[in-house]
Amino acid sequence: MMRALTAGEVVSRIKSNLGFAWRDNTYRDTFKFGGPETEVRGIATAMFCNFDVVKRASEAGLNMIIPHEDTYWNDRDDISIVSSDPLYKTKVDFMKEHNIVIFRMHDHMHSQRPDFLYVGLARALGLDSKYETEPQSHRFVIPETTLGALASDFQKRLGAHAVRAIGDPKAKVRRVQVGVGYATPAVNSPDVDVVVSGELQETDGGFDSPEYVLDAVSVGITKGWIMLGHAISEEQGMLEMADWVKKFTPEVPVQLIRGGEPFWAPK
Amino acid sequence: MKSISRREFVALTAAVPIAVPAILQSRAAPTAQEIVDRIKQKVGGQWKADGVDAFKAGDPMTPVKGIATSAMATLDVLKQAVKAGANFVITCEPTFYSRADTPAPAGARRGGTPAAPDAVFTAKNDFIKNNQIVVWRFSDNWRQHTPDPLSVGLAEALGWAKYRAADDPRRITIPIASLESVASDLKKKLNSRGGIRVVGDPGLNVVKIGLLPGTTPIQSALSMFPLVDAIIAGEVREWESVELARDKVSAGERKGLVLIGRVISENPGMDECAKWLKNVVPEVRTTWIPVEDPYWRPA
Repeated sequence: MMRALTAGEVVSRIKSNLGFAWRDNTYRDTFKFGGPETEVRGIATAMFCNFDVVKRASEAGLNMIIPHEDTYWNDRDDISIVSSDPLYKTKVDFMKEHNIVIFRMHDHMHSQRPDFLYVGLARALGLDSKYETEPQSHRFVIPETTLGALASDFQKRLGAHAVRAIGDPKAKVRRVQVGVGYATPAVNSPDVDVVVSGELQETDGGFDSPEYVLDAVSVGITKGWIMLGHAISEEQGMLEMADWVKKFTPEVPVQLIRGGEPFWAPK
Repeated sequence: MKSISRREFVALTAAVPIAVPAILQSRAAPTAQEIVDRIKQKVGGQWKADGVDAFKAGDPMTPVKGIATSAMATLDVLKQAVKAGANFVITCEPTFYSRADTPAPAGARRGGTPAAPDAVFTAKNDFIKNNQIVVWRFSDNWRQHTPDPLSVGLAEALGWAKYRAADDPRRITIPIASLESVASDLKKKLNSRGGIRVVGDPGLNVVKIGLLPGTTPIQSALSMFPLVDAIIAGEVREWESVELARDKVSAGERKGLVLIGRVISENPGMDECAKWLKNVVPEVRTTWIPVEDPYWRPA
């Protein structure tokens, strides 16, 4: 009889297929629930490991979840911050009852080449690789369009409703720098018209692109800023992640479980 | 000492803002530094000196003709300040596009180093210099003022001052409304173009609201949620409070989260600052200049 696939075996196959040495000093890429002995019936990749995603993965018979982001509403998944909220117990009880095991893949995903998060977002935004200035530059020189048309096109392609943009919607743009999640490039690079990414603090950070774009517009310099939201900017590449994991876990089904956009926008 | 005729005196007083008592006009205008010293004495509590509150541009010894307060000293805000006759701008957020707030670019975080000089930095520096503006950041210490002026201001702007909890200016009890109508109402009252984003059931009944203006960590949402139906926040981290709100909804809790944008959420708090300064610096006219919602929503 064939030995059942364990979560530990899945993780060791991930490590051996990465193409570079695993870094044990990561606090992110670790088990967040369950452990290596848990028997795996199916694998779900996901962006945020939110409760809805956990429930839908479980319903689909996928008890191992490989999320890109946190499970307990803080980056370190520090339980001491959140455990006094009854929601923590509700979520953990569900996971216990349904034999869920969670192993986060964040730092090592961003170190993979190509980085699936960028591949997936470029694919979903329709940014063809023939427009990329060089592989892994994440900078695309596209046929001329306007900032408004570009933002609308991105929003439609993602099926999103709460995309936010800054800049002159009529400005003619060509040079697009792509970021994912919170890895959002600064907009003041002279060879970039538009930055499209997931999330960034609005001000008081390393470089405050929102204020810079406002001032660039005042001065008459073309700059644009399109924030898709953290979740949908990185969810796309978890499809590539699912395809990759599938290659070395043929015993079980593997699929992306989408969490979708968390927001709606008021009229 | 040259005595002035009555006619000259009338001409002089007519040139100054009506609201300023003529007697105060005989004194020399206070410098920006003197105004900051007065603020330090009056704001209350231990002055936090190791944070971001400092002069960011201009000469602190400049005599101040007028003060402008704003959530963020954008070029547009600086232009409006000059139009309003102000040469001292007090800003809650940075002037030069980073917490470091240095008047020249420190180098892009990703995507290569920008060519120096950067035309946007240069234009802003030139405008400040040509108009002899002094910019001072007032953030850490203004937030420590009691009662919390950012929450007081936001409630005021939303017409909710009368609904405020006596013991906590962040907590509001409004007549019952749906989350959707609360969000639409916020959009109108805050002149928001496209920056508002909401998590939760649009039909959720909302009575108790918690205000978290500015930027707040997960701990703030965790402690506020049990007390309210919905949180109205400026900015949160999406992997923290947004996912917390989404999970609460998934678990069947009747909760909502409305994000209005960090700078927009701080606008009313700087209106409060202007009102407060009228008592601290009565001899100089203070004007509040709101920042327009930076965001628009794609069609």
